[in-house]
Amino acid sequence: MKLFEFFITKIFLRKVIFSIAMILLFFMANYTIFTATRLILSTFQGYQEVKSMNQEGTYIANLNPDSNIDMDAIAENGTQKVYDYLNNNFKYAFYTDGFIASLPNNDDMEISFSYMNEEYYKLNQFELSQGTDLNFDYQFNKDKEIPVLVGKGLSKTYPMGSTIKIELPVLEQSMTLKVQGVLKQNAYHSNFHALNSKNYYNFSVFLPVNQEFITHANIDLQLNGLMDIIILQTTKEKVTNLSEIMQDNLGLKFNFFSQKENFDYFNEYYLHSLKIMSIITLILVVIIICHSVWNALVSIRLMLKDFTINLLVGLSYSKLRKILYSYFGILFSINLIVIFFITAYSRYGSWLRKDAAFVTYGLFGLIGMDWFALLVVFLFDIIFGMIIVEIMLRKIKKIPISLGVLQ
Amino acid sequence: MRRSLFRFVDRFELCITYLFCFSLNLIFDYVKSLSVDSYILKAFLENFMNYQTLINFLFTFIVVVFHYQMLHRKKTEIYCRILVGDTILNITIRYTLECLMILGFVYLLSIAINIYLNFNLISNLYLVCIFVIYILISAVRVGKYETF
Repeated sequence: MKLFEFFITKIFLRKVIFSIAMILLFFMANYTIFTATRLILSTFQGYQEVKSMNQEGTYIANLNPDSNIDMDAIAENGTQKVYDYLNNNFKYAFYTDGFIASLPNNDDMEISFSYMNEEYYKLNQFELSQGTDLNFDYQFNKDKEIPVLVGKGLSKTYPMGSTIKIELPVLEQSMTLKVQGVLKQNAYHSNFHALNSKNYYNFSVFLPVNQEFITHANIDLQLNGLMDIIILQTTKEKVTNLSEIMQDNLGLKFNFFSQKENFDYFNEYYLHSLKIMSIITLILVVIIICHSVWNALVSIRLMLKDFTINLLVGLSYSKLRKILYSYFGILFSINLIVIFFITAYSRYGSWLRKDAAFVTYGLFGLIGMDWFALLVVFLFDIIFGMIIVEIMLRKIKKIPISLGVLQ
Repeated sequence: MRRSLFRFVDRFELCITYLFCFSLNLIFDYVKSLSVDSYILKAFLENFMNYQTLINFLFTFIVVVFHYQMLHRKKTEIYCRILVGDTILNITIRYTLECLMILGFVYLLSIAINIYLNFNLISNLYLVCIFVIYILISAVRVGKYETF
Protein backbone atom coordinates (compact mmCIF):
# COMPACT_ATOMS: atom_id res chain seq x y z
CA MET A 1 0.00 0.00 0.00
CA LYS A 2 2.87 2.36 0.88
CA LEU A 3 4.50 1.62 -2.44
CA PHE A 4 1.24 2.31 -4.24
CA GLU A 5 0.83 5.61 -2.39
CA PHE A 6 4.39 6.50 -3.30
CA PHE A 7 3.76 5.82 -6.99
CA ILE A 8 0.53 7.82 -6.98
CA THR A 9 1.82 10.85 -5.13
CA LYS A 10 5.43 10.97 -6.28
CA ILE A 11 5.21 9.70 -9.85
CA PHE A 12 1.73 9.81 -11.38
CA LEU A 13 0.46 12.97 -9.72
CA ARG A 14 3.71 14.82 -10.32
CA LYS A 15 2.77 14.73 -13.99
CA VAL A 16 -0.92 15.22 -13.41
CA ILE A 17 -1.58 16.29 -17.02
CA PHE A 18 -1.36 12.66 -18.14
CA SER A 19 -3.82 11.55 -15.50
CA ILE A 20 -6.27 14.29 -16.52
CA ALA A 21 -5.87 13.39 -20.21
CA MET A 22 -6.47 9.72 -19.38
CA ILE A 23 -9.59 10.54 -17.36
CA LEU A 24 -10.97 12.67 -20.22
CA LEU A 25 -10.28 9.99 -22.83
CA PHE A 26 -11.78 7.27 -20.65
CA PHE A 27 -14.79 9.47 -20.04
CA MET A 28 -15.38 9.90 -23.79
CA ALA A 29 -15.12 6.15 -24.33
CA ASN A 30 -17.35 5.35 -21.36
CA TYR A 31 -19.95 7.94 -22.31
CA THR A 32 -20.09 6.62 -25.89
CA ILE A 33 -20.52 3.03 -24.76
CA PHE A 34 -23.03 3.96 -22.07
CA THR A 35 -25.17 5.94 -24.53
CA ALA A 36 -25.06 3.26 -27.22
CA THR A 37 -25.85 0.43 -24.78
CA ARG A 38 -28.81 2.27 -23.29
CA LEU A 39 -30.21 3.11 -26.70
CA ILE A 40 -29.82 -0.45 -28.00
CA LEU A 41 -31.39 -1.86 -24.84
CA SER A 42 -34.27 0.58 -24.98
CA THR A 43 -34.90 -0.30 -28.63
CA PHE A 44 -34.95 -4.02 -27.86
CA GLN A 45 -37.35 -3.45 -24.97
CA GLY A 46 -39.61 -1.61 -27.42
CA TYR A 47 -39.19 -4.41 -29.92
CA GLN A 48 -40.16 -7.03 -27.33
CA GLU A 49 -43.28 -4.99 -26.54
CA VAL A 50 -44.30 -4.76 -30.18
CA LYS A 51 -43.39 -8.41 -30.73
CA SER A 52 -45.98 -9.51 -28.17
CA MET A 53 -48.66 -7.75 -30.25
CA ASN A 54 -47.26 -8.53 -33.64
CA GLN A 55 -48.81 -11.97 -34.02
CA GLU A 56 -49.94 -13.70 -37.18
CA GLY A 57 -53.26 -12.28 -38.37
CA THR A 58 -52.65 -9.05 -36.51
CA TYR A 59 -52.53 -5.76 -38.39
CA ILE A 60 -51.34 -2.52 -36.83
CA ALA A 61 -52.70 0.74 -38.24
CA ASN A 62 -50.37 3.46 -39.38
CA LEU A 63 -51.44 6.81 -40.75
CA ASN A 64 -50.01 7.30 -44.20
CA PRO A 65 -47.27 9.99 -43.96
CA ASP A 66 -48.88 11.86 -46.90
CA SER A 67 -52.22 12.20 -45.09
CA ASN A 68 -52.82 15.46 -43.29
CA ILE A 69 -55.31 15.52 -40.47
CA ASP A 70 -57.96 18.15 -41.17
CA MET A 71 -60.48 18.05 -38.36
CA ASP A 72 -62.98 20.18 -40.32
CA ALA A 73 -63.01 17.65 -43.15
CA ILE A 74 -63.99 14.83 -40.82
CA ALA A 75 -67.74 14.41 -40.65
CA GLU A 76 -69.32 14.68 -37.21
CA ASN A 77 -70.26 11.05 -37.03
CA GLY A 78 -67.43 9.86 -39.33
CA THR A 79 -65.35 8.35 -36.56
CA GLN A 80 -68.42 6.70 -35.03
CA LYS A 81 -69.24 5.06 -38.37
CA VAL A 82 -65.71 3.62 -38.45
CA TYR A 83 -66.13 2.29 -34.90
CA ASP A 84 -69.50 0.79 -35.83
CA TYR A 85 -67.83 -0.99 -38.74
CA LEU A 86 -65.02 -2.13 -36.45
CA ASN A 87 -67.43 -3.42 -33.79
CA ASN A 88 -69.45 -5.38 -36.34
CA ASN A 89 -66.58 -6.92 -38.26
CA PHE A 90 -63.43 -7.07 -36.17
CA LYS A 91 -61.81 -7.85 -32.89
CA TYR A 92 -59.53 -4.91 -32.15
CA ALA A 93 -57.14 -3.61 -29.49
CA PHE A 94 -57.74 0.04 -28.71
CA TYR A 95 -55.19 2.22 -26.94
CA THR A 96 -54.56 5.91 -26.74
CA ASP A 97 -52.73 8.02 -24.18
CA GLY A 98 -51.35 11.46 -23.49
CA PHE A 99 -54.65 13.00 -22.38
CA ILE A 100 -53.56 15.33 -19.63
CA ALA A 101 -55.99 16.11 -16.84
CA SER A 102 -55.67 18.25 -13.78
CA LEU A 103 -55.63 15.87 -10.87
CA PRO A 104 -54.21 17.08 -7.55
CA ASN A 105 -51.40 14.88 -6.25
CA ASN A 106 -48.57 15.01 -3.71
CA ASP A 107 -45.87 15.49 -6.35
CA ASP A 108 -47.66 18.19 -8.36
CA MET A 109 -47.32 16.18 -11.55
CA GLU A 110 -49.57 16.53 -14.57
CA ILE A 111 -51.48 13.30 -14.81
CA SER A 112 -51.76 11.49 -18.11
CA PHE A 113 -54.81 9.32 -18.83
CA SER A 114 -54.39 6.18 -20.91
CA TYR A 115 -57.49 4.62 -22.42
CA MET A 116 -57.50 0.99 -23.47
CA ASN A 117 -59.98 -1.72 -24.27
CA GLU A 118 -59.98 -5.29 -22.99
CA GLU A 119 -58.13 -6.73 -25.99
CA TYR A 120 -55.26 -4.32 -25.60
CA TYR A 121 -55.10 -5.00 -21.87
CA LYS A 122 -54.94 -8.74 -22.49
CA LEU A 123 -52.22 -8.35 -25.11
CA ASN A 124 -49.97 -6.37 -22.79
CA GLN A 125 -50.48 -8.22 -19.51
CA PHE A 126 -49.51 -5.34 -17.27
CA GLU A 127 -47.99 -6.37 -13.98
CA LEU A 128 -49.63 -5.03 -10.85
CA SER A 129 -48.00 -4.43 -7.49
CA GLN A 130 -51.39 -4.29 -5.73
CA GLY A 131 -55.03 -4.92 -6.51
CA THR A 132 -56.80 -6.75 -9.27
CA ASP A 133 -57.04 -6.51 -13.04
CA LEU A 134 -59.26 -4.03 -14.81
CA ASN A 135 -62.91 -4.76 -15.31
CA PHE A 136 -64.29 -3.79 -18.71
CA ASP A 137 -67.89 -4.87 -18.21
CA TYR A 138 -69.11 -1.77 -16.41
CA GLN A 139 -72.15 0.06 -17.74
CA PHE A 140 -71.44 3.57 -18.78
CA ASN A 141 -73.59 6.14 -16.86
CA LYS A 142 -75.23 3.38 -14.85
CA ASP A 143 -72.28 2.20 -12.82
CA LYS A 144 -71.39 4.94 -10.45
CA GLU A 145 -67.70 4.21 -10.43
CA ILE A 146 -65.34 3.17 -13.20
CA PRO A 147 -62.51 0.92 -12.00
CA VAL A 148 -59.03 2.24 -12.88
CA LEU A 149 -55.37 1.38 -12.38
CA VAL A 150 -52.89 4.01 -11.26
CA GLY A 151 -49.11 4.27 -11.45
CA LYS A 152 -46.89 3.93 -8.41
CA GLY A 153 -46.35 7.67 -8.03
CA LEU A 154 -50.05 8.39 -8.06
CA SER A 155 -50.84 5.56 -5.62
CA LYS A 156 -49.41 7.68 -2.78
CA THR A 157 -52.21 10.22 -3.22
CA TYR A 158 -54.82 7.77 -4.45
CA PRO A 159 -54.23 4.41 -2.77
CA MET A 160 -56.16 1.22 -3.44
CA GLY A 161 -59.90 1.63 -2.97
CA SER A 162 -59.88 5.43 -3.09
CA THR A 163 -62.11 7.32 -5.48
CA ILE A 164 -61.23 10.12 -7.88
CA LYS A 165 -63.86 12.62 -8.98
CA ILE A 166 -62.85 14.24 -12.17
CA GLU A 167 -64.22 15.86 -15.27
CA LEU A 168 -62.78 13.88 -18.12
CA PRO A 169 -62.08 16.14 -21.12
CA VAL A 170 -62.68 13.28 -23.55
CA LEU A 171 -66.22 12.81 -22.23
CA GLU A 172 -66.85 16.42 -21.26
CA GLN A 173 -68.64 15.16 -18.19
CA SER A 174 -67.82 14.40 -14.60
CA MET A 175 -66.94 10.83 -13.66
CA THR A 176 -66.03 8.93 -10.53
CA LEU A 177 -63.10 6.58 -10.83
CA LYS A 178 -62.24 3.92 -8.31
CA VAL A 179 -58.63 2.75 -7.87
CA GLN A 180 -58.74 -0.99 -8.35
CA GLY A 181 -55.04 -1.66 -8.68
CA VAL A 182 -51.57 -0.16 -8.71
CA LEU A 183 -49.17 -0.77 -11.59
CA LYS A 184 -45.68 -2.06 -10.92
CA GLN A 185 -43.14 0.74 -10.67
CA ASN A 186 -41.66 1.99 -13.93
CA ALA A 187 -44.27 0.25 -16.11
CA TYR A 188 -43.75 1.71 -19.57
CA HIS A 189 -45.10 1.96 -23.07
CA SER A 190 -42.81 2.21 -26.09
CA ASN A 191 -43.65 4.43 -28.99
CA PHE A 192 -44.54 2.10 -31.88
CA HIS A 193 -42.92 4.47 -34.37
CA ALA A 194 -39.77 5.11 -32.32
CA LEU A 195 -39.09 1.96 -30.35
CA ASN A 196 -36.25 3.48 -28.36
CA SER A 197 -38.46 6.13 -26.77
CA LYS A 198 -40.84 5.21 -24.00
CA ASN A 199 -43.25 6.80 -21.60
CA TYR A 200 -43.42 5.66 -17.99
CA TYR A 201 -46.75 5.09 -16.29
CA ASN A 202 -45.74 6.13 -12.76
CA PHE A 203 -48.07 9.12 -12.93
CA SER A 204 -50.73 7.72 -15.23
CA VAL A 205 -54.27 6.48 -14.86
CA PHE A 206 -55.37 3.44 -16.86
CA LEU A 207 -59.00 3.80 -17.81
CA PRO A 208 -60.81 0.80 -19.25
CA VAL A 209 -62.94 1.60 -22.26
CA ASN A 210 -65.70 -0.41 -23.88
CA GLN A 211 -67.84 0.23 -26.94
CA GLU A 212 -70.26 2.36 -24.96
CA PHE A 213 -67.47 4.52 -23.59
CA ILE A 214 -66.03 5.11 -27.08
CA THR A 215 -69.48 6.02 -28.38
CA HIS A 216 -69.84 8.69 -25.70
CA ALA A 217 -66.30 10.01 -26.09
CA ASN A 218 -65.46 13.08 -28.16
CA ILE A 219 -63.78 12.99 -31.56
CA ASP A 220 -60.29 13.51 -30.06
CA LEU A 221 -60.33 10.19 -28.26
CA GLN A 222 -62.03 8.39 -31.13
CA LEU A 223 -59.60 9.67 -33.75
CA ASN A 224 -56.49 9.18 -31.60
CA GLY A 225 -57.58 5.64 -30.86
CA LEU A 226 -57.70 4.88 -34.57
CA MET A 227 -54.12 6.05 -35.13
CA ASP A 228 -52.54 2.96 -33.56
CA ILE A 229 -55.48 0.59 -33.63
CA ILE A 230 -54.55 -3.08 -33.75
CA ILE A 231 -56.83 -5.38 -35.68
CA LEU A 232 -56.71 -8.96 -34.44
CA GLN A 233 -57.32 -12.30 -36.15
CA THR A 234 -58.10 -10.91 -39.55
CA THR A 235 -56.97 -11.02 -43.16
CA LYS A 236 -55.35 -8.60 -45.60
CA GLU A 237 -58.60 -8.31 -47.63
CA LYS A 238 -60.66 -7.39 -44.59
CA VAL A 239 -58.25 -4.68 -43.42
CA THR A 240 -58.09 -3.31 -46.97
CA ASN A 241 -61.85 -2.84 -46.81
CA LEU A 242 -61.47 -1.22 -43.41
CA SER A 243 -58.87 1.15 -44.80
CA GLU A 244 -61.33 2.17 -47.54
CA ILE A 245 -64.09 2.74 -44.98
CA MET A 246 -61.72 4.91 -42.97
CA GLN A 247 -60.74 6.90 -46.04
CA ASP A 248 -64.39 7.46 -46.98
CA ASN A 249 -65.42 8.61 -43.52
CA LEU A 250 -62.31 10.38 -42.30
CA GLY A 251 -60.54 11.40 -45.48
CA LEU A 252 -57.38 9.82 -44.08
CA LYS A 253 -55.37 7.04 -45.63
CA PHE A 254 -54.41 4.35 -43.16
CA ASN A 255 -51.94 1.57 -43.86
CA PHE A 256 -52.29 -1.75 -42.11
CA PHE A 257 -49.09 -3.67 -41.76
CA SER A 258 -48.98 -7.42 -41.30
CA GLN A 259 -46.67 -9.32 -38.97
CA LYS A 260 -44.21 -10.01 -41.79
CA GLU A 261 -44.21 -6.39 -42.96
CA ASN A 262 -43.58 -5.19 -39.42
CA PHE A 263 -40.69 -7.61 -38.95
CA ASP A 264 -39.24 -6.65 -42.35
CA TYR A 265 -39.53 -3.00 -41.36
CA PHE A 266 -37.72 -3.72 -38.11
CA ASN A 267 -34.93 -5.55 -39.91
CA GLU A 268 -34.59 -2.89 -42.55
CA TYR A 269 -34.96 0.22 -40.42
CA TYR A 270 -34.01 -0.56 -36.82
CA LEU A 271 -31.46 -3.28 -37.37
CA HIS A 272 -29.74 -1.18 -40.03
CA SER A 273 -29.71 1.86 -37.72
CA LEU A 274 -28.43 -0.21 -34.81
CA LYS A 275 -25.69 -1.62 -37.01
CA ILE A 276 -24.58 1.88 -38.08
CA MET A 277 -24.73 3.02 -34.47
CA SER A 278 -22.59 0.09 -33.34
CA ILE A 279 -20.06 0.79 -36.09
CA ILE A 280 -19.85 4.48 -35.11
CA THR A 281 -19.40 3.47 -31.45
CA LEU A 282 -16.70 0.97 -32.38
CA ILE A 283 -14.79 3.51 -34.49
CA LEU A 284 -15.00 6.14 -31.74
CA VAL A 285 -13.82 3.67 -29.11
CA VAL A 286 -10.92 2.45 -31.26
CA ILE A 287 -9.82 6.07 -31.88
CA ILE A 288 -10.01 6.80 -28.15
CA ILE A 289 -8.07 3.61 -27.32
CA CYS A 290 -5.35 4.67 -29.81
CA HIS A 291 -5.16 8.08 -28.17
CA SER A 292 -5.04 6.57 -24.71
CA VAL A 293 -2.23 4.24 -25.75
CA TRP A 294 -0.33 7.21 -27.21
CA ASN A 295 -0.91 9.15 -23.98
CA ALA A 296 0.25 6.17 -21.91
CA LEU A 297 3.41 5.70 -24.00
CA VAL A 298 4.21 9.40 -23.81
CA SER A 299 3.80 9.29 -20.04
CA ILE A 300 6.15 6.28 -19.92
CA ARG A 301 8.74 8.36 -21.79
CA LEU A 302 8.68 10.95 -19.03
CA MET A 303 8.30 8.62 -16.08
CA LEU A 304 10.79 6.02 -17.28
CA LYS A 305 13.50 7.18 -14.94
CA ASP A 306 11.21 6.86 -11.90
CA PHE A 307 10.04 3.41 -12.96
CA THR A 308 13.53 2.06 -13.70
CA ILE A 309 15.04 3.44 -10.48
CA ASN A 310 12.36 1.59 -8.53
CA LEU A 311 12.98 -1.56 -10.58
CA LEU A 312 16.69 -1.24 -9.84
CA VAL A 313 16.12 -1.09 -6.09
CA GLY A 314 13.99 -4.21 -6.02
CA LEU A 315 10.54 -3.51 -7.47
CA SER A 316 9.39 -6.55 -9.44
CA TYR A 317 7.48 -6.32 -12.72
CA SER A 318 4.54 -8.15 -11.15
CA LYS A 319 4.33 -5.51 -8.40
CA LEU A 320 4.60 -2.76 -11.00
CA ARG A 321 1.77 -4.43 -12.92
CA LYS A 322 -0.38 -4.45 -9.77
CA ILE A 323 0.38 -0.77 -9.17
CA LEU A 324 -0.54 0.15 -12.74
CA TYR A 325 -3.78 -1.87 -12.56
CA SER A 326 -4.69 -0.19 -9.26
CA TYR A 327 -3.90 3.25 -10.72
CA PHE A 328 -6.09 2.66 -13.77
CA GLY A 329 -8.72 1.12 -11.51
CA ILE A 330 -8.91 4.45 -9.68
CA LEU A 331 -9.16 6.40 -12.95
CA PHE A 332 -11.95 4.12 -14.20
CA SER A 333 -13.79 4.38 -10.88
CA ILE A 334 -13.71 8.18 -11.12
CA ASN A 335 -15.26 7.93 -14.58
CA LEU A 336 -17.91 5.45 -13.53
CA ILE A 337 -18.87 7.71 -10.62
CA VAL A 338 -19.10 10.73 -12.97
CA ILE A 339 -21.32 8.82 -15.42
CA PHE A 340 -23.42 7.54 -12.54
CA PHE A 341 -23.97 11.11 -11.28
CA ILE A 342 -24.77 12.44 -14.76
CA THR A 343 -27.37 9.69 -15.22
CA ALA A 344 -28.83 10.18 -11.75
CA TYR A 345 -29.04 13.92 -12.38
CA SER A 346 -30.72 13.40 -15.75
CA ARG A 347 -33.29 11.06 -14.15
CA TYR A 348 -33.79 13.50 -11.29
CA GLY A 349 -34.21 16.26 -13.89
CA SER A 350 -37.53 14.68 -14.92
CA TRP A 351 -38.74 15.11 -11.34
CA LEU A 352 -37.59 18.72 -11.28
CA ARG A 353 -39.26 19.49 -14.61
CA LYS A 354 -42.39 17.64 -13.45
CA ASP A 355 -42.14 15.63 -16.64
CA ALA A 356 -44.55 12.88 -15.57
CA ALA A 357 -44.01 10.73 -18.69
CA PHE A 358 -40.30 10.31 -17.92
CA VAL A 359 -40.33 10.16 -14.13
CA THR A 360 -38.87 6.89 -12.86
CA TYR A 361 -38.30 5.16 -9.55
CA GLY A 362 -35.15 3.29 -8.62
CA LEU A 363 -32.02 3.31 -6.53
CA PHE A 364 -30.67 6.87 -6.86
CA GLY A 365 -33.27 7.33 -9.62
CA LEU A 366 -31.52 4.84 -11.91
CA ILE A 367 -33.55 2.07 -13.52
CA GLY A 368 -32.50 -1.40 -14.68
CA MET A 369 -31.47 -0.19 -18.12
CA ASP A 370 -29.04 2.34 -16.59
CA TRP A 371 -27.47 -0.21 -14.27
CA PHE A 372 -27.03 -2.64 -17.15
CA ALA A 373 -25.34 0.04 -19.27
CA LEU A 374 -23.06 0.88 -16.32
CA LEU A 375 -22.18 -2.82 -16.06
CA VAL A 376 -21.27 -2.91 -19.77
CA VAL A 377 -19.10 0.18 -19.27
CA PHE A 378 -17.44 -1.50 -16.27
CA LEU A 379 -16.65 -4.63 -18.33
CA PHE A 380 -15.34 -2.49 -21.15
CA ASP A 381 -13.11 -0.61 -18.68
CA ILE A 382 -11.57 -3.89 -17.52
CA ILE A 383 -10.63 -4.77 -21.11
CA PHE A 384 -9.53 -1.20 -21.82
CA GLY A 385 -7.36 -1.18 -18.67
CA MET A 386 -5.77 -4.53 -19.55
CA ILE A 387 -4.82 -3.32 -23.02
CA ILE A 388 -3.20 -0.13 -21.75
CA VAL A 389 -1.40 -1.64 -18.75
CA GLU A 390 0.04 -4.51 -20.78
CA ILE A 391 1.23 -2.12 -23.51
CA MET A 392 2.82 0.12 -20.87
CA LEU A 393 4.57 -2.86 -19.25
CA ARG A 394 5.84 -4.12 -22.59
CA LYS A 395 7.30 -0.70 -23.24
CA ILE A 396 8.96 -0.55 -19.81
CA LYS A 397 10.35 -4.09 -20.15
CA LYS A 398 11.83 -3.27 -23.55
CA ILE A 399 14.06 -0.57 -22.13
CA PRO A 400 17.11 -1.82 -20.20
CA ILE A 401 17.11 -0.68 -16.56
CA SER A 402 20.60 0.83 -16.87
CA LEU A 403 19.51 2.99 -19.82
CA GLY A 404 16.31 4.07 -18.08
CA VAL A 405 18.15 5.11 -14.94
CA LEU A 406 20.64 7.18 -16.94
CA GLN A 407 17.76 9.14 -18.49
CA MET B 1 14.72 25.56 -38.77
CA ARG B 2 18.25 24.21 -38.41
CA ARG B 3 18.28 24.90 -34.70
CA SER B 4 14.75 23.81 -34.02
CA LEU B 5 13.78 21.84 -30.93
CA PHE B 6 11.54 19.75 -33.14
CA ARG B 7 12.59 16.49 -34.75
CA PHE B 8 10.64 14.88 -37.55
CA VAL B 9 8.72 12.65 -35.11
CA ASP B 10 7.72 15.68 -33.01
CA ARG B 11 6.47 17.58 -36.04
CA PHE B 12 4.58 14.52 -37.18
CA GLU B 13 3.01 13.98 -33.75
CA LEU B 14 1.94 17.62 -33.47
CA CYS B 15 0.49 17.52 -37.00
CA ILE B 16 -1.47 14.40 -36.14
CA THR B 17 -2.85 15.86 -32.91
CA TYR B 18 -3.94 19.09 -34.63
CA LEU B 19 -5.33 17.13 -37.55
CA PHE B 20 -7.31 14.92 -35.20
CA CYS B 21 -8.94 17.90 -33.46
CA PHE B 22 -9.83 19.62 -36.76
CA SER B 23 -11.09 16.34 -38.22
CA LEU B 24 -13.32 15.79 -35.21
CA ASN B 25 -14.90 19.20 -35.76
CA LEU B 26 -15.23 18.44 -39.45
CA ILE B 27 -16.95 15.12 -38.71
CA PHE B 28 -19.43 16.93 -36.45
CA ASP B 29 -20.16 19.44 -39.23
CA TYR B 30 -20.50 16.63 -41.74
CA VAL B 31 -22.94 14.69 -39.56
CA LYS B 32 -24.94 17.90 -39.03
CA SER B 33 -25.21 18.35 -42.79
CA LEU B 34 -26.57 14.83 -43.26
CA SER B 35 -30.32 14.39 -43.30
CA VAL B 36 -30.59 11.33 -41.11
CA ASP B 37 -33.97 9.67 -41.59
CA SER B 38 -33.54 7.12 -38.87
CA TYR B 39 -35.08 8.33 -35.63
CA ILE B 40 -32.93 6.06 -33.50
CA LEU B 41 -29.71 7.13 -35.24
CA LYS B 42 -30.73 10.75 -34.81
CA ALA B 43 -31.34 10.17 -31.09
CA PHE B 44 -27.91 8.56 -30.77
CA LEU B 45 -26.07 11.30 -32.67
CA GLU B 46 -27.86 14.04 -30.74
CA ASN B 47 -26.12 12.82 -27.59
CA PHE B 48 -22.89 14.02 -29.19
CA MET B 49 -24.04 16.84 -31.47
CA ASN B 50 -25.53 18.76 -28.54
CA TYR B 51 -22.10 18.87 -26.91
CA GLN B 52 -20.00 19.45 -30.04
CA THR B 53 -18.02 22.39 -28.65
CA LEU B 54 -17.44 20.75 -25.28
CA ILE B 55 -16.28 17.46 -26.85
CA ASN B 56 -13.97 19.30 -29.26
CA PHE B 57 -12.58 21.33 -26.40
CA LEU B 58 -11.95 18.26 -24.24
CA PHE B 59 -10.13 16.55 -27.07
CA THR B 60 -7.82 19.56 -27.49
CA PHE B 61 -6.30 18.37 -24.23
CA ILE B 62 -4.17 15.96 -26.25
CA VAL B 63 -2.39 19.05 -27.68
CA VAL B 64 -1.68 20.16 -24.10
CA VAL B 65 -0.23 16.71 -23.44
CA PHE B 66 1.95 17.04 -26.53
CA HIS B 67 3.36 20.45 -25.54
CA TYR B 68 3.91 19.32 -21.97
CA GLN B 69 5.81 16.15 -22.82
CA MET B 70 7.71 17.81 -25.67
CA LEU B 71 9.14 20.54 -23.42
CA HIS B 72 9.84 18.07 -20.62
CA ARG B 73 11.86 15.91 -22.96
CA LYS B 74 13.72 18.89 -24.39
CA LYS B 75 14.74 20.53 -21.14
CA THR B 76 18.31 19.19 -21.32
CA GLU B 77 18.58 20.26 -24.94
CA ILE B 78 17.37 23.77 -24.10
CA TYR B 79 19.92 24.05 -21.31
CA CYS B 80 22.73 22.77 -23.55
CA ARG B 81 21.81 25.24 -26.29
CA ILE B 82 22.06 28.09 -23.81
CA LEU B 83 25.48 26.77 -22.75
CA VAL B 84 26.76 26.98 -26.32
CA GLY B 85 25.58 30.55 -26.82
CA ASP B 86 21.90 30.43 -27.75
CA THR B 87 19.44 32.62 -25.85
CA ILE B 88 16.19 31.57 -24.20
CA LEU B 89 14.38 34.30 -26.15
CA ASN B 90 15.57 32.93 -29.49
CA ILE B 91 14.71 29.38 -28.50
CA THR B 92 11.24 30.50 -27.40
CA ILE B 93 10.66 32.48 -30.61
CA ARG B 94 11.79 29.56 -32.78
CA TYR B 95 9.62 27.14 -30.82
CA THR B 96 6.55 29.41 -31.01
CA LEU B 97 7.02 30.10 -34.73
CA GLU B 98 7.38 26.45 -35.56
CA CYS B 99 4.30 25.51 -33.57
CA LEU B 100 2.36 28.30 -35.31
CA MET B 101 3.61 27.16 -38.72
CA ILE B 102 2.48 23.60 -38.10
CA LEU B 103 -0.86 24.90 -36.83
CA GLY B 104 -1.19 27.17 -39.88
CA PHE B 105 -0.40 24.28 -42.21
CA VAL B 106 -2.99 21.98 -40.62
CA TYR B 107 -5.55 24.79 -40.48
CA LEU B 108 -5.08 25.55 -44.19
CA LEU B 109 -5.53 21.86 -44.88
CA SER B 110 -8.77 21.84 -42.88
CA ILE B 111 -9.96 24.98 -44.71
CA ALA B 112 -9.27 23.27 -48.04
CA ILE B 113 -11.37 20.30 -46.93
CA ASN B 114 -14.11 22.66 -45.70
CA ILE B 115 -14.17 24.43 -49.07
CA TYR B 116 -14.28 21.11 -50.88
CA LEU B 117 -17.19 19.92 -48.75
CA ASN B 118 -18.90 23.31 -48.84
CA PHE B 119 -18.84 23.76 -45.08
CA ASN B 120 -18.66 26.90 -43.00
CA LEU B 121 -15.06 28.15 -43.06
CA ILE B 122 -15.10 29.74 -39.64
CA SER B 123 -16.58 26.75 -37.84
CA ASN B 124 -13.16 25.64 -36.58
CA LEU B 125 -11.66 29.07 -36.02
CA TYR B 126 -12.24 28.76 -32.28
CA LEU B 127 -9.96 25.71 -32.28
CA VAL B 128 -7.18 27.86 -33.76
CA CYS B 129 -7.65 30.36 -30.92
CA ILE B 130 -7.47 27.57 -28.33
CA PHE B 131 -4.32 26.14 -29.91
CA VAL B 132 -2.66 29.56 -30.11
CA ILE B 133 -3.34 29.99 -26.38
CA TYR B 134 -1.77 26.58 -25.72
CA ILE B 135 1.28 27.55 -27.81
CA LEU B 136 1.71 30.81 -25.93
CA ILE B 137 1.41 29.08 -22.55
CA SER B 138 3.95 26.45 -23.57
CA ALA B 139 6.24 29.20 -24.94
CA VAL B 140 6.20 30.82 -21.50
CA ARG B 141 7.15 27.45 -20.03
CA VAL B 142 10.24 27.23 -22.28
CA GLY B 143 11.75 29.95 -20.09
CA LYS B 144 11.48 27.63 -17.09
CA TYR B 145 14.24 25.44 -18.49
CA GLU B 146 16.83 28.20 -18.67
CA THR B 147 18.47 26.70 -15.59
CA PHE B 148 18.87 22.94 -15.33
